[in-house]
Amino acid sequence: MTKVIEVENVSFGYTRDMILEHVDFTVEKGDFAVVIGDNGVGKSTVVKLLLGVILPTSGTIRIGGKEVTSLRGSGIGYLPQNGGSRAAAFPATCEEIVMSSLYKKIGFGRFPRKEHKKKVEEALELVDMLDKRKSLIGELSGGQQQRVMLARVLAADPEVLILDEPTVGVDAESVDRLLHILHHLNIEKKVTILMVTHDIEKVGPYANRVLCLSEGACREEMLPHEVQVVHAHAHNHPHGEMAHIHCANCEHENQHGHDAEHCAECAHCGAFPGHSHGGHKHGNPHTHDGGNVDGKGAV
Amino acid sequence: MPMIFQYAYMQRALLVGFLLAVIVACLGTVMVHKRLSLIGDALSHSSLAGVAVGLLLGFNPIIGAMATCVVAAFAIEAIRKKLGNHSELAVAIVLSTGIGLAGVLSGFVRSSADFNSFLFGSIVAISGFEARLVMILAVVVLVAFILLYKELFYISFDEQAAAISGVPVGVVNAIFTILTAVTVSIAARTVGALIVSSLMVVPVAAAMSLARSYRTTVLWAVFVSVVSTVGGLVLSFYIGLKPGGTIVLLSVAILLLCKLIGFLRGRNTGSKTPAKALETKGE
Repeated sequence: MTKVIEVENVSFGYTRDMILEHVDFTVEKGDFAVVIGDNGVGKSTVVKLLLGVILPTSGTIRIGGKEVTSLRGSGIGYLPQNGGSRAAAFPATCEEIVMSSLYKKIGFGRFPRKEHKKKVEEALELVDMLDKRKSLIGELSGGQQQRVMLARVLAADPEVLILDEPTVGVDAESVDRLLHILHHLNIEKKVTILMVTHDIEKVGPYANRVLCLSEGACREEMLPHEVQVVHAHAHNHPHGEMAHIHCANCEHENQHGHDAEHCAECAHCGAFPGHSHGGHKHGNPHTHDGGNVDGKGAV
Repeated sequence: MPMIFQYAYMQRALLVGFLLAVIVACLGTVMVHKRLSLIGDALSHSSLAGVAVGLLLGFNPIIGAMATCVVAAFAIEAIRKKLGNHSELAVAIVLSTGIGLAGVLSGFVRSSADFNSFLFGSIVAISGFEARLVMILAVVVLVAFILLYKELFYISFDEQAAAISGVPVGVVNAIFTILTAVTVSIAARTVGALIVSSLMVVPVAAAMSLARSYRTTVLWAVFVSVVSTVGGLVLSFYIGLKPGGTIVLLSVAILLLCKLIGFLRGRNTGSKTPAKALETKGE
């Protein structure tokens, strides 16, 4: 598989206060990766590093094989936290907002042409907001605003989509709708997705990768294809405790003190590494075949 | 021909007023949506410090105003980047510095009448050189605004996303900053330093009550700005009022009228009316 996001031995922080230390992970083409971890553990820092808003103190980050050295033109689709609500006071129509991301395709000093208008309509259709294209963004509900913001990102045809806590401040129905759209993009359009979230119960079933940030490091968690995520929060364990996850195959709950290798497989029944996905779907909507089952993103 | 057009100075005042009204509204639309509504105040006060330096050292005060305005505008951009979440403080810091400097330096200016003409402007006493300067400025600002319309929209809406998409945010902001600074310094000479900042904000606030898109917000802002300026000049001519103050008061009256129309139409930009909230709740 092609590596789309490569984070190699990345550290970030200030002299006395390191936020991330020696973080390694990769996300491959077509992955739907979820980044989890406690508040203040550095999830948003990872997003900023991937976008090039900040640069790592040490280590390298590559997106699509190119090292990220600045914010400019990384080509990533990025949906920020509460992206919709920030736009609420802006007097622009949904169409104008989605069109903004096509500025490069339109060209300097030129105005949108037919093909750009069509592209905007397609993006709004994808998020089921075409009928609101002439509405002011401030007149929409929070969930609708967020879908418009997603359409804006999608109009530019990004190969990688990074979402920072998109489920925060959005009602349950809108979250389901958003995840359904993302799932469709991931499966049908092969868009690689990396999502920072606390809402692992809702998002987990759609993902094929779970990356857990804890105490400045990153580890790969269980694969949601094969496990039912019961409870996912990192503990302040001296060895970097993994989330409580139990194996849907044998109902065994992983034990405190397991290291990453053990946590990426069920030592109890040996169900995961190298195994096919057959028989472990458990109602999971994800239909990737192959997936990333060897835990090679793990540290 | 109406009496107002029989005077060459009024013809010139109307033309200059019209051109400035158009470009100040265009710049104001971007400034308001970048959450920098008070930038006009900060720049115009800083321009007064430049005027004082010009009068003291014996060179054209407009050149002094332009220089301090450009420095002040870049200082705002630099401080804004450093302050992150408190970026609005940048305007207040530069505004205070501008007032302080203008206050101290004006104490050394012998002719206070010269200095005061920059405070409230002297649109009916514009020289041919100043009129030509405004015409050139209007063309440059309008062309730049049209060419950079997409980029300015994107940056105003979401500066970070614009940068991620490859918009040369630094260059666009720098061009826009220089244009704003030059416009404010020239407008300070004509309509007055204290009035240009109002013209940068009030028509945009009025436009936001009526517009149904960003494009129409710009058009409405230009329309309100032109009506206020030309209307204010005409009123001041016939009633015998000071033109600068009349222009601003007329723009505020139009703003109140637009807010009333907006309210009656059930629009309240920035927050949903209860009716709209209920309408959209269930999507």
